[in-house]
Amino acid sequence: MAVAAHVPATHHDHIHPEPTSFIQKYIFSLDHKIIGIQYFITTFLFYCIAGLLAEVIRIQLLHPNGGFVSNETYNQVYSVHGSAMVWLVIIPMLTGGFGNFVMPLMIGARDVAFPWLNMASFWMFPVAGALLFSSFLIGAPEAGWTEYPPISLQGPPGTSLWCMAIFLVGISSTLTGINFLVTIMKMRAPGMTLTRMPLFVWAQLATAMLSMVATTALAGALLALFLERTFGVPFYDPAKGGSPLLWQHMFWFYSHPAVYIMILPAFGIVSEILPTFSKKPIFGYKAIAFSSVAIALVGFMVWAHHMFTSGMVPWLTLPFMILTFFVAVPTGVKVLAWVATLWGGRVHFTAAMLFALGLIATFTLGGITGVFLAAVPADLHEHGTYFVVAHFHYVLFGGSVFGIFAGMYYWWPKMTGKLMNEPLAITHFWATFIGFNLTFFPMHWLGLMGMPRRVPIYDPQFQSLNVLASIGSFILAASTLLFFANVYYSLTKGKKASSDPWGGRTLEWMISSPPPYYNFKKIPAVLALPYDFGEPLPYLGGELIRPNAHTKFAGEE
Amino acid sequence: MAVGAVAHGAHAGAHDDEVDALYAETRDMRLLGFVLFLISDVVLFSAFIFAYLYLRNSIPNWPPLGADGKQLPRFDAAFAGVNSVVLFGSGATMHYALESWKHGAKKAFNWWMGATIVLGTLFLCGQAYEYMHAKVTWAGSTIGASFFTLTGMHGFHVFAGIVYLIILMIQANRGVYTKSKYFGLTAGTLYWHFVDVIWVALFTLFYLI
Repeated sequence: MAVAAHVPATHHDHIHPEPTSFIQKYIFSLDHKIIGIQYFITTFLFYCIAGLLAEVIRIQLLHPNGGFVSNETYNQVYSVHGSAMVWLVIIPMLTGGFGNFVMPLMIGARDVAFPWLNMASFWMFPVAGALLFSSFLIGAPEAGWTEYPPISLQGPPGTSLWCMAIFLVGISSTLTGINFLVTIMKMRAPGMTLTRMPLFVWAQLATAMLSMVATTALAGALLALFLERTFGVPFYDPAKGGSPLLWQHMFWFYSHPAVYIMILPAFGIVSEILPTFSKKPIFGYKAIAFSSVAIALVGFMVWAHHMFTSGMVPWLTLPFMILTFFVAVPTGVKVLAWVATLWGGRVHFTAAMLFALGLIATFTLGGITGVFLAAVPADLHEHGTYFVVAHFHYVLFGGSVFGIFAGMYYWWPKMTGKLMNEPLAITHFWATFIGFNLTFFPMHWLGLMGMPRRVPIYDPQFQSLNVLASIGSFILAASTLLFFANVYYSLTKGKKASSDPWGGRTLEWMISSPPPYYNFKKIPAVLALPYDFGEPLPYLGGELIRPNAHTKFAGEE
Repeated sequence: MAVGAVAHGAHAGAHDDEVDALYAETRDMRLLGFVLFLISDVVLFSAFIFAYLYLRNSIPNWPPLGADGKQLPRFDAAFAGVNSVVLFGSGATMHYALESWKHGAKKAFNWWMGATIVLGTLFLCGQAYEYMHAKVTWAGSTIGASFFTLTGMHGFHVFAGIVYLIILMIQANRGVYTKSKYFGLTAGTLYWHFVDVIWVALFTLFYLI
């Protein structure tokens, strides 16, 4: 099933009438574009809640003796902050949001393979959010987003709600993975072979494979934790013959690949934005495409690098260390290919481009500290310190969230038919970039100096750096408001967007903004890769809107 | 697959191999989607099988000691062996049910489907009997935890499968499927064989090794 059967375009021409009632059109919609936007609205809401929880952490750490919230509340706050950011924000935004809105348009499809399943996946997700955040009412989980037993076994009742919420997100994520995999394999426009797919689609393909396989393993671990907490079924409790290490193996077997679920789509976004704003073909298309798949495959064999200090069998540490180093190879291939794409290009510094460039800079730093942490001798010193916190925020904020904002600015005109205010967007980027680095860079030093993570109070010698980090986090929070202000501005006063405001060449830019219901009146045939700037567009047939020679694209004044 | 052959509504079913292209397309998508669903389900079982083997290997003598300090007994392979034959037999009858449908033998299809449903139910009864006479409990020991969770999950899959087969049988008799369009029956057969294969793994893990 490696190559999909290409069905003649005529068989796609069964266009159902657009639903007219509000509920069918906007609430229980089957349209991938509406579902994508539903994901964005929900995830940005959760992003704000989880972000405010992060501010609670930073306010608490302004003073060595804390005092803003009780120690127990502090534990609950960072546990829910982490869980929400991973499962309710980054994963659903990159797969459910961008994957749903952009991927079917890019492959020239009218929808995903199973629209009903898509709607069901979405609606599980606000339910999961409600479960997770309502756990505060009965005592939220206190053992961090990783919920290691035995602490999670003794945790407050909300820990069971946490299990249910993450289980539900897991089902939603698995179903989306299956849906996208079938869509990409079976519904590409005629002529779009695997190696003519846009790189964002490649990233979604690798991500779908990961979320389909890894997420059910997490579901198993969560089910076992839930059973043990509710019925006392022994899996993890050492007093009854269970093993806390078992949880760590099962959890990280999912959660390490989940790191790539969170970053690969962001890489895909960057791979679309860089050629568009450098007006130059992407460098090393196949290298970037296959490195996504390579990262996904190697990602399954590295989970135990999270457990070097957990009392794992010592001889296993060496192979896990070496395999983890291997992840840096395909990742490095991507970064080098991106830099080579910029080389000699006509670079336009739009907000989307700035966020993409910001991702390359900050993610690379996070990747390098990842190699530090993969090395057993260094990890023994750094494990459980703020160095780890710095590392994964450089990867997940500097990588994933920068990618999210890059994608938001890039596809916003396509989603809404309106342009954003570009100077405001660029201010948003610089505020985010400065706030982000001010927040998380000092944490490297704190960690190396020995400040442990997940503590509500700390040694007074760490105060100045903590205050610096907190000030950074306030700038970061304020910068998010600039984004929402821009959203408001664009929706009310924004200029109308043409079908292709940036001069992009993938299929979604060939139809009007926002795209009509059912996307393509006639499915076009694809002749080549979309990135050959300066060459004629590689599409035949269909009723595509092509820019004429006089079209001025953004940033080309 | 049969994409090239195009038959229009009125003729569909009149010729065995001819399926209209739109159906062939949706069938291909559903088949791939269904197989992917089964793969992700295999991972769920694998997670618990991993847990079982991990806990089993973490102590020198398996099964672990019970509350009274004595080593817990192994499971009785003889009874479960007979029960396994019942389940594998239902895999064979399911195969014949699908083949009968493909050859247009509706009466034979109903008999084979009925037999599959009866055998599946018999297997569940056998498992219930085994649960009632088990010498370990779910919450009492790691062997009980793994045994009841894994076989319980499998039993739930068998139960869901029986319900699914009953629905398929009703739909088939109400004319939802034709001789050339029967994706539901293919999916049902795949699912039922999947349940069999999982049982091969569980039987080996709990009764044989």
